[in-house]
Amino acid sequence: MKENLFNREEMAKAWEGFTPGEWSEGIDVRDFIQKNYAPYFGDEGFLEGPTENTARIWEKANSLIQDETKSRTIKVDLERFSGIDNFEPGYIDQDKEVIVGLQTDEPLKRIMNPYGGFRMLKSSLDAYGLQMDPEMERRFNEYRKTHNQGVFDAYTKEMRAVRSAGLLTGLPDAYGRGRIIGDYRRVALYGLDYLKEMRLKDKENLTGPAVEETIRLREEFTDQIRALDAMKSMAARYGFDIGRPARNAQEAVQWLYFGYLAAIKENNGAAMSLGRNTAFLDIYIERDLARGLITEQQAQELIDQLVIKLRLVRHLRTPEYDQLFAGDPTWVTEAIGGMGQDGRPLVTKTAYRFLHTLTNLGTAPEPNMTILWSNDLPRAFKEYCAYMSIKTASIQYENDDLMRPIYGDDYAIACCVSAMRVGKDMQFFGARANLAKALLYAINGGVDEIKRDKATGQPVQVLSGIARNTQDVLDYDTVLASFKQVMDKLAEIYVNTMNTIHYMHDKYAYEASQMALHDPYVHRYIAFGIAGLSIVADSLSAIKYAKVRPVRDEHGLTVDFEVEGAFPRYGNDDDRVDQIAIMVNEYFMEALRQHQAYRGAEHTLSLLTITSNVVYGKKTGATPDGRKKGEPFAPGANPMNGADTMGALASLNSVAKLPYKRVNQDGISNTFTIIPAALGKNLPEQVTNLTNIMDGYFGRGAFHLNVNVLDKALLIDAMENPDKYPNLTIRVSGYAVRFNRLDREHQLDVINRTFHEAV
Amino acid sequence: MQGFVHSIESMGLVDGPGTRTIFFLQGCPLRCAFCHNPDALKKAGGRIMTPEAIVEFAGRYRSYYGEEGGITFSGGEPLLQGKFVYRSLKLLKREGYNTCVDTSGFGDPRYYQKIMPLVDTLILDVKAFDREAFRELTTIDGFQAYLDFLAKLDLYGFKGQIWVRHVMVPGLTDSEESMEQFIRLLEPIRAKVDRIEILPYHTSGVSKYRELGIPYRLEGVEPMDKERAKELEIYANKLFAAGLREERAQNGKAREEKYRQLKAKEIASDAEKAEMFQVLRGLPLLSDVPEEDVSHVLSEVILSSIKAGELVFKTGDAPDFMYLIYKGQMKIFVNTMDGEEQIFYIYRDGDFVGGLNLLVETPYRYIGQALTDCKVVAIPKATFDKYFYNSPAVLRSVLSKSFERIRWAEELIQRLATSNASMKTAGLLLKLVKRLGVETEEGIRLELSMSREELGNYSGLRRETITRKLGEFRELGYIELVGNRVIIVKDLEALESYVY
Repeated sequence: MKENLFNREEMAKAWEGFTPGEWSEGIDVRDFIQKNYAPYFGDEGFLEGPTENTARIWEKANSLIQDETKSRTIKVDLERFSGIDNFEPGYIDQDKEVIVGLQTDEPLKRIMNPYGGFRMLKSSLDAYGLQMDPEMERRFNEYRKTHNQGVFDAYTKEMRAVRSAGLLTGLPDAYGRGRIIGDYRRVALYGLDYLKEMRLKDKENLTGPAVEETIRLREEFTDQIRALDAMKSMAARYGFDIGRPARNAQEAVQWLYFGYLAAIKENNGAAMSLGRNTAFLDIYIERDLARGLITEQQAQELIDQLVIKLRLVRHLRTPEYDQLFAGDPTWVTEAIGGMGQDGRPLVTKTAYRFLHTLTNLGTAPEPNMTILWSNDLPRAFKEYCAYMSIKTASIQYENDDLMRPIYGDDYAIACCVSAMRVGKDMQFFGARANLAKALLYAINGGVDEIKRDKATGQPVQVLSGIARNTQDVLDYDTVLASFKQVMDKLAEIYVNTMNTIHYMHDKYAYEASQMALHDPYVHRYIAFGIAGLSIVADSLSAIKYAKVRPVRDEHGLTVDFEVEGAFPRYGNDDDRVDQIAIMVNEYFMEALRQHQAYRGAEHTLSLLTITSNVVYGKKTGATPDGRKKGEPFAPGANPMNGADTMGALASLNSVAKLPYKRVNQDGISNTFTIIPAALGKNLPEQVTNLTNIMDGYFGRGAFHLNVNVLDKALLIDAMENPDKYPNLTIRVSGYAVRFNRLDREHQLDVINRTFHEAV
Repeated sequence: MQGFVHSIESMGLVDGPGTRTIFFLQGCPLRCAFCHNPDALKKAGGRIMTPEAIVEFAGRYRSYYGEEGGITFSGGEPLLQGKFVYRSLKLLKREGYNTCVDTSGFGDPRYYQKIMPLVDTLILDVKAFDREAFRELTTIDGFQAYLDFLAKLDLYGFKGQIWVRHVMVPGLTDSEESMEQFIRLLEPIRAKVDRIEILPYHTSGVSKYRELGIPYRLEGVEPMDKERAKELEIYANKLFAAGLREERAQNGKAREEKYRQLKAKEIASDAEKAEMFQVLRGLPLLSDVPEEDVSHVLSEVILSSIKAGELVFKTGDAPDFMYLIYKGQMKIFVNTMDGEEQIFYIYRDGDFVGGLNLLVETPYRYIGQALTDCKVVAIPKATFDKYFYNSPAVLRSVLSKSFERIRWAEELIQRLATSNASMKTAGLLLKLVKRLGVETEEGIRLELSMSREELGNYSGLRRETITRKLGEFRELGYIELVGNRVIIVKDLEALESYVY
């Protein structure tokens, strides 16, 4: 039976003036937005600068951030472990903060989270010369087991082998998996008391045979209820009662942030997105503006100060982790814009306010601003985004016209490119398989081209049952058949490995606070990934269209290739090779699908490397496309550096061909870098051109674009003189990063990538 | 039919308006000292493509082109492969692509008449400003031929806009005097020039010479200083605008002349005049004009009789009058490429013509000729602006009349417009200065309530065009843009010279 929640006193007070609907009879944030938001078609003319208080707070926060980078030291709370309510309240400058809350009692002080893996935690501390209380260490290890231990208890020999050879890398078996987006808006709209009441009911209703899934769910519901209590208590330490719904814009922003704050106190997931909040918050802000409670400047202040908090999010990481995900990213991803299913844009003034923080506070990599692009978005908004991209290189774009038919109009982006319905879907994150290496296995009969046995010094057989290629000139059909065998085997191991990891993650490092802000029964994706697709496509194309002779060493292992003749390369809008990329992609996805996933999850696949393209390159031998051993991969779905000879649109067209729906449905990352002079003669022309390029690219069904408008010379100067460019931000695969936080190797990789220049 | 394509750049953002795909064609008769594509000089070589392949290629990038973008043929000298370019352009135009040709004017003249009507933007490379310098730089004694090419563009049927480019080499043309020569050269094509660019000479093409083993004639010459080049670019643009101003003064004389002519044919009979006024008063056109103003209007209009065969106005005439046909027939037509007359309309009693031209200040794009003896009421622009400009009734009748003409008018605008985006943009800015300009220390500050789109609509330009023009004016130092809503006019005089 449905209850009209307007009849409850707290709700009536908080919801005055809102149009009722399904949302006021049960939890349905999307319906609340649709019934109450006002699309905005105008331009950025209304925006205001930062308030005095915001400026002061940011000045202070920014100097702490700069110190952290310069001194290469970090602060860690060494006296307690992670938890929603384990820390005293912390402030930047309490009197000036309109939005409060820090992960610990001090800005930038990081949390020790032992549940993912204790060794990881130890080595993170070691890297910075820090030490926790030995008693804490002893007790924890005496009484608790971690996710990491669980995984390694259950790994097979085969799983360990592919992992250690680097055929599968970056697996979340020793760090938080992330990729879960709590619906933090629910905290503001309904208050925690109601959410708890509902979850208690869910638990009561969950009866029937006590099979494993049911038992697990009942335990999880209880953990979630406990987490809601902890959240409420944590907010109370700051003096707020988030048991009741938010009554005004300031509370709405604050409540929502508390929801997120609980998540990042409890967990250290690789990517913990914020969700899709601007249209939601806009409803509260517009109501307050209409009531004369706040001015535009105060509205902006709320968003500015929320963003300051998001810029201060930190997790404790190891140096190895930094190799994969360089520059200390946290992926506080906020999805902005997109269209509603009824044809109204989900662009509101608060979408502008959010982007405007890049102006008010200066450029920064976080939160990871993601524009959901549709050809139907208001032109003024598109141009504002393009303008901000040119000015800040801090924005990424994803195709709403591709995602909306699949996920509806209330999805958000986890991490870089993974779409999920907010509060309804979650994802089991699974890093990626190195398919360039897999191709070498197809030639070397499953033996790794680099790895040697520690004891014997002999090459290591990683996959069995693959025939070694002995041809003088590689034959396309032979190599492809063998490659398919490798992919089949790899897919099976990959799915099984992922199932093991996520079973243990659920068991030892469950994200109770985030799952409490979901529907009780969620849809699960299991997200696999490919690295090195452009190398595989170019290599197979070389084998097919040119002559490729393997160069073998004393073990008979192919360690290099001689290529004679020309061959089409991915990135030139040439179907001869682009179709190879698509075929490999589709084949691998199908192979993965053959194997059942943990908890009935739906298989998806991404083309996204983050910055790990450098590490993958290091660990992979020479490839038939002419790439030398150790050279970096191209990031994500990008063509290899220098492969495109027809200019940027041809390159964009090649990437646009990759199939999103049902194949690369976990996202296809593409990074586009152009020098300002090549983008147009002057800023207004550049804005027009960039807008049209994105309309064209997404109009062709492409999925994602990172946009950098930068001079190569500037980056080289910034590498030599980091102090001159403290805030220089660039987009790398799927996120933005402060250039001076990358190590030299990554900086060089960025500089060596294709910059589109004028001819 | 096939052509030799040196290379393709799928995304050119600085060679012609908007986002463009550039086909660099093989072959060039000139041997410019600074040529940065020496490998494209030979006529054969590169990739062989058919016109159909060009169109197929363009289709792949169409979604990126926006309002102004499209296809550019560059080179080498693209007009050298005249037949190929003609066939390609014809197919492209059939598909509705915006076209651009980047030429130095030394192609295959047999195809000029076929090619030019199909070109929307001509990028015209001006190598040098006198015969000697031209020969020195290009090794060809072709300066006169070049001037002929410019002079004949109209004859070839070119109706598009022109971007003029000049590569400035230190010691050759980096002086004010050279810029004066430069701008004088442009006089025959002045009405079509949309942009004047100075490209500072750079040395990044030199390595190609080494690879090809060709001696480089500018060995040792330093790259052109970019700031100095920019200074001279601004100087050249100002000179050009001053030229426009002069031309306008000439037009003013023409208007007076027109007025005199109409006056001379003024109807003598008071009875007839009275009758015409009576009819005029009854027209919906005057319904918004307050009674006390009607007599002013009537005293300012000219009632004129025109003999059959006389021209009332012709293509390119400034919009000085709106004509109401009281009695008789007037035909509206253009002369087509083949020298034939294409009649669009025959107007009869009660029709009017030229209202839209007055409203959006565009010159006539067609010829008006009396078919029979006519009696017309000519409403001078000043009267129109004063009494009708803000009248909804006038707007309504002009618009509803115009509606039926819009279809062909749009096509004509495309084909016949002597593009004048600079003037329109300058004109718009000046209007805004009058209405909302605030004097500040930095210049005249305009706080706009209109978006770019609305600005475009207001001035009869596309959004992308006005955006481009504003960017250009900013680059020339005429204005400063602060966000999307504030324009600071730095050089009023420069803007005025486009308009007054």
